[in-house]
Amino acid sequence: MFDDSFRRGAREGFRLFLPLSIGLIPWALVTGVAMRSSGLSVAEAIGMNAIVFAGTAQLGSLPLLMMDAPMWLVALTTAALNLRFLIFSAAIAPAFRGYSLRRRLLSGYLLVDGVFAVCADRMLKCDDPRWRWGCFIAPSVWCWVLWQGFGLLGILGAGSLPADWSLEFMATIALLVMLVPMASTRPLLVSAVVGGLGAVMLRGLPLKLGLIAAIMAGMVSGFATERWIEARKS
Amino acid sequence: MTAGVELWLTIGVMALLTLGLRGSFILLGERASLPPGVQRALRFAPVAALAALVAPDVLLDGGRFDPLDPKLAAALVVIVIASRSRNPWLPFLFGMGVLLVLRKGLGW
Repeated sequence: MFDDSFRRGAREGFRLFLPLSIGLIPWALVTGVAMRSSGLSVAEAIGMNAIVFAGTAQLGSLPLLMMDAPMWLVALTTAALNLRFLIFSAAIAPAFRGYSLRRRLLSGYLLVDGVFAVCADRMLKCDDPRWRWGCFIAPSVWCWVLWQGFGLLGILGAGSLPADWSLEFMATIALLVMLVPMASTRPLLVSAVVGGLGAVMLRGLPLKLGLIAAIMAGMVSGFATERWIEARKS
Repeated sequence: MTAGVELWLTIGVMALLTLGLRGSFILLGERASLPPGVQRALRFAPVAALAALVAPDVLLDGGRFDPLDPKLAAALVVIVIASRSRNPWLPFLFGMGVLLVLRKGLGW
């Protein structure tokens, strides 16, 4: 299993992902602290970190869990926040051709933005399945260990931080920091503004339907803006 | 606050959804692919969802807009820093700093 080809792939994947992975440390810490200051117990926070293993979805679910939102709303919001993985999964899938179901399941659980961003291209270009596996699994496991380790530090450390420091606001900051670079083009910015203002204006709708309506409106308006800009260019 | 069994169920549902989306095409293998039009539309989902989650928390204080809300000032500082720097620590330091100084120091 750990033959030469695998090891070379693992080294390459690790080398590509290492600089990016350092940026995960504050996220893991903040997610750990935010889960605890939102009201999750130590066990619940550790469980969520390990079972869900998706920072955006975890942070995004916290304001909803705090207001005791219905489960389907948390589920729909998680799906919307994680829809990007559908695109990543479709793009990277050819690199897993011929692998066993167990390996594919593990890969599905471990796939994260950073590893996809730096490794997908190399993996898709390589014909050696053992090299590809090394290139994926080494940085992915490293990412998992970092996330769980620093997440745990945040979860346990949150208790010794003062309770009246509004630390739950760290989740809001984290979501904002993810949002800012994402709204990089005009259509994406329109999508963000419509989604944000929509959620504020539609907050009175029953069953928190306003949030889902706002997300849909944001998606439609972004897509429409993109089509409109293209139509004007041609 | 969602708690107890319901919270664990919610966590389980979140995990299954995440695994389903991440694993989707990896598990399906060569049997399926995503049409380019769908891929383009899906790109807007995370941005719209993030904004929809953050905006009410930043813009509203007890259900009303307050231009002097410390959370609003802190959020603006975070947006400025995040759009200028890629340092992962700065937004948290300055965002929490502004919030705490305004709330505790000045009593806003």
